[in-house]
Amino acid sequence: MTPDLAGLIANESPDALILMTDQGRVLHWSKAAESIFGYRGQEAFGQTLATLVVPPEHAEEQSLRLRETLSEGTATYESVRRRKDGSLLYVDVSTRLLADGSAPPRVLSAEKDVTHIKVRRDAKLMEARFRDLLESTPDGIVMANPTGHIVIANTQAERLFGYEAGELLGRSVDMLLPQRYRHAHVGHRSNYFQQPRKRSMGSGLDLSGLRKDGSEFPIEISLSPLHTEESAFVMSAIRDISERKRFEHALQEKNQELANANQAKDRFLAGMSHELRTPLNAIIGFTGTLLMQLPGPLNEEQHKQLRMVQSSGRHLLALINDLLDVSKIEAGKVDLQLESVDCRLVLEEVAATLQPQAHSKGLTFELQLPEQSRPVTSDRRALCQIVLNLASNAIKFTETGGVLLMLHQDTSARTTEIRVHDSGIGIPESEQTKLFGAFTRVQSSRAGAPEGTGLGLHLSQKLAELLGGRIDFRSVHGEGSCFTLVLAKD
Amino acid sequence: MPARILVVEDNPANLELVCYLLRFHGHTVLTAVNGEDGVAAAEAHHPDLILCDLQMPVLDGYQVLERLRGRRGGAAIRIVALTAFSMPNDRLRVLDAGFNGYMSKPIDPETFMAQVEEHLPPPLRSAPSQAT
Repeated sequence: MTPDLAGLIANESPDALILMTDQGRVLHWSKAAESIFGYRGQEAFGQTLATLVVPPEHAEEQSLRLRETLSEGTATYESVRRRKDGSLLYVDVSTRLLADGSAPPRVLSAEKDVTHIKVRRDAKLMEARFRDLLESTPDGIVMANPTGHIVIANTQAERLFGYEAGELLGRSVDMLLPQRYRHAHVGHRSNYFQQPRKRSMGSGLDLSGLRKDGSEFPIEISLSPLHTEESAFVMSAIRDISERKRFEHALQEKNQELANANQAKDRFLAGMSHELRTPLNAIIGFTGTLLMQLPGPLNEEQHKQLRMVQSSGRHLLALINDLLDVSKIEAGKVDLQLESVDCRLVLEEVAATLQPQAHSKGLTFELQLPEQSRPVTSDRRALCQIVLNLASNAIKFTETGGVLLMLHQDTSARTTEIRVHDSGIGIPESEQTKLFGAFTRVQSSRAGAPEGTGLGLHLSQKLAELLGGRIDFRSVHGEGSCFTLVLAKD
Repeated sequence: MPARILVVEDNPANLELVCYLLRFHGHTVLTAVNGEDGVAAAEAHHPDLILCDLQMPVLDGYQVLERLRGRRGGAAIRIVALTAFSMPNDRLRVLDAGFNGYMSKPIDPETFMAQVEEHLPPPLRSAPSQAT
């Protein structure tokens, strides 16, 4: 054999031929080695094989095999190598010790890339075992071997990524991800084989898949390990979540719109309240100065008429306040200050406020409180507002007799009820169903009956609901009514 | 003791109501119908108290406050917001901004003067309201 022919064989051999020192440092790196591993001859020269192409998890095996070669003269094994770009491949390795005594001992290593042979073998096995199963699932399924090469992909996965049947076989799974994820994915994948367990890769991450035509789409991936007698595989279930993302996006936009609309409504309400109060200020204010007779004395008729202007003005103001309260409750904007409340104090406060009004109408106003009471967890202001409203209604619709305000607590059932009894005109049965509606007023038998804003009970019921309770009532037309605020059990 | 009170208010009816009540109780009243005039009047006459509307043309009440407080001696100026903004947050917003007080419209003429008295410098307050 001429030296030229020997050189030709060494250079053109399809297998990588590597000549190393007994320490594993590269002395010669064939053209096939360049193309298989991606490192040029100059890059490889002087480096150890271990630092160049041996993945960390195979380092120990590599040094073992080198020692075996040095002691036995040859070694033959299968292993995994890492290319310059980080991708992995399977190699069949044959080594031989070159020691003729004249020079330091050297090692010749011939390494054959068997990745595709292995993939085809694994693929055949996977096809036979899992094809039918994989075709029956709605998700795209891709299985890869430890070097990241696809050994089987179901039709759903091929369709998802835009490949022909069988086209994905043997390709790296990394190509199903956009370039920007690949580096991380190689690391991710090799870590996964160190500690394989079932997990979802999609949660919390915005992952994208890369189609054959270069377009991207949002995906969710879950990984699970799969062990066969031959090898360990990783199964990826891939779901296209474009539709869900579209919904999420649409929902976000909708939410933003709603938030904007809500803000606009708040601004409108604040503006409306301001604009209505501004003229009311002059109406109520000047009526007040006239009634105080600051500009001069009034005759009886003038006094009477001005009182009507004043009460109408105040009515309008109450209406504005109630309307704002209702819209706040409906928008869920009421901040409840929950604290421990002694209901007796609330009732005493309401009684003190309303007793003069009842007495001036010739009515009795009684307060019946237990000697001991259990505090409830509630909002003091809201509670006060409800009781005040119920009790002032009672006075409003009662002409003879009186009003009884009482606290009733049942210790064993842990219930708290505040009752307002009156001996007033009562509510006709036909009117009872619409009692808590907005702006519904019970038809009064009496001409010129006092009018509320039409929102009081509506507001009270809503407040009671906010507090976790409700308002019940019993009424007999012509005999009186009893309204009960039932508070949430403590 | 009569005080010199500046009322800054763009609504003529409300301006007249407030002025009427103040004058009736013997105070000297200065008026301005927008924020800019209000600032000028405050600087020219150094009133004992300023009652200032919030929503006004040219400069609003908050801007008036900012300009007056920004001047030398501005921290000592007594300025109270008198406004028809009466949502629960409005009071806090007014006080946070640095007004000395918050009064809401519609005013009640029977209690208005007592509220005003509270914001006057102590020597100018009349006896009854000092008691309350």
